[in-house]
Amino acid sequence: MIPDRIIEQGTLTTDGARAAVEVRLPWYRALPASCIAGATLAVDGVEAPAESLRWEMNGRTFTFDELVPNTEEWWFPTDSAVLSGDIALDDAPEHKVEVSLVLYIPYIVIGDGEVLHIEERDAKTMPARKAVAA
Amino acid sequence: MTLRQAQGQLGAPIQGVTLYSFTRAFHGREYDLEGLVRKVAAEGYGPGLEIIGFSSFRGFPDVDDAYAGRFRDLVAETGLVTTSLAINADIGIHRDRLLSQDELIEYMRRQIEAAAKLGFPIARVQISISPDSMEALAPIAERYGVTLALEVHADQYASHPRILALRDRYEKVSSPFLGFTMDWGATVTGFAPSLIEAYRRRGASEDLLEKVVALWNEFYEQGPPADQAEHGQRFGRFIALAAQNGRPDLGIDFGINGTGLFGPARVDDWLEIFPWIKHVHGKFFGIDEHGEEPSVPVRDLVKLLVENGYNGAISSEYEGWHWNHWQSPFEIIAAEQAVQRSAAENAGSRMVTDAAEARSQLAAWLPRPEGANA
Repeated sequence: MIPDRIIEQGTLTTDGARAAVEVRLPWYRALPASCIAGATLAVDGVEAPAESLRWEMNGRTFTFDELVPNTEEWWFPTDSAVLSGDIALDDAPEHKVEVSLVLYIPYIVIGDGEVLHIEERDAKTMPARKAVAA
Repeated sequence: MTLRQAQGQLGAPIQGVTLYSFTRAFHGREYDLEGLVRKVAAEGYGPGLEIIGFSSFRGFPDVDDAYAGRFRDLVAETGLVTTSLAINADIGIHRDRLLSQDELIEYMRRQIEAAAKLGFPIARVQISISPDSMEALAPIAERYGVTLALEVHADQYASHPRILALRDRYEKVSSPFLGFTMDWGATVTGFAPSLIEAYRRRGASEDLLEKVVALWNEFYEQGPPADQAEHGQRFGRFIALAAQNGRPDLGIDFGINGTGLFGPARVDDWLEIFPWIKHVHGKFFGIDEHGEEPSVPVRDLVKLLVENGYNGAISSEYEGWHWNHWQSPFEIIAAEQAVQRSAAENAGSRMVTDAAEARSQLAAWLPRPEGANA
């Protein structure tokens, strides 16, 4: 729906071992954590291992398994979440960031017991800021 | 001829807008909710104001009294009239199962309560609510004094079997708090030219674009799909067309928009459910160089509403923002509302733009809360 907005320009940070970037909801209405079904993060073509990915939203940090049962925390359309993972960055002045997201749209029923899920991706180039490890 | 026509009572729809039209500006943090409400009032897109709960209210459907009070004060101060709160049936909120019937009713009850608290007399619900659920929600709607208006949206249309099943149930339940929201996207007359332009900007060939338009026109000639199976077949034809012409990446987009946004039913199909239409989404996609909507028959739709005595609100719902990055939604909406006003005048009536008049007219149009009916 609004995939060009997923990656927030200029928000890439690194502590040396991990990279993090702010991401926006590519949909018009808030979705609960349970509907954030998956993500990938790659910098300069190197993808973070899935088990290293973390999702920070509303001041809390989640693994993707922890998002599954959670219907209490919501991703509001004007809020940034932070997606991070194990990727070591070199000192290049610019880095290509790629993010993909899988979201369940809980009110659009497309079949027996099944709701619509969408896969959206975005890529942007930006410098990295040094940040202390979380 | 309907009863109201026979009695010569023309309707005078209330002008309004849904903030969904400004999704790109809100999502892009150009305006917050208060800023958008003030903009709507200042630019005269009201007086009717529709909002999507889960889009605009943080923490929805939890709304505390202090917040609701501030929101109502803002609406009063700006001279707007809250019409419909769009709510959602998140049946698939749990990853591993759908909500049970009892859970769904409670999920909707909380949102209907929020609508009442925030001062919205209508809650827009969607097709995923079954006739059984609507029947179960009727006493809840009555308790809160909120009319439930289920949205008839492409790929459905008024005479679609699922909509007629709802209409028949409404007749049986006989609650004045159950009705429909008419979405003009069910009765479109062409593939939106602004979307063709967006595909052109994405590198689609003129040959392919002509074929997309021709395929949609073929479906228009056939009329709306009889059922979900035929809908699926048409969706598949759009995907195949994109693949056969070297642009498989555009196939799903063609299908979603060609079947789910541009419904090919005829305008008079709305007469099948007309007495139950309580609210209107004036869905549209763009304005051409002549100041007209090139693919939604806005003038015919307003004429239909006026001649059949419709006195509720029309929320202008601009959906071209999905693809139109090159024009301001604010100017486009102003132009579409000018078409609505002109059409209402041509039909011998007018659009209501005065807030006080709109407020009393909407109160008379909708049922009164329980206890006030005696």
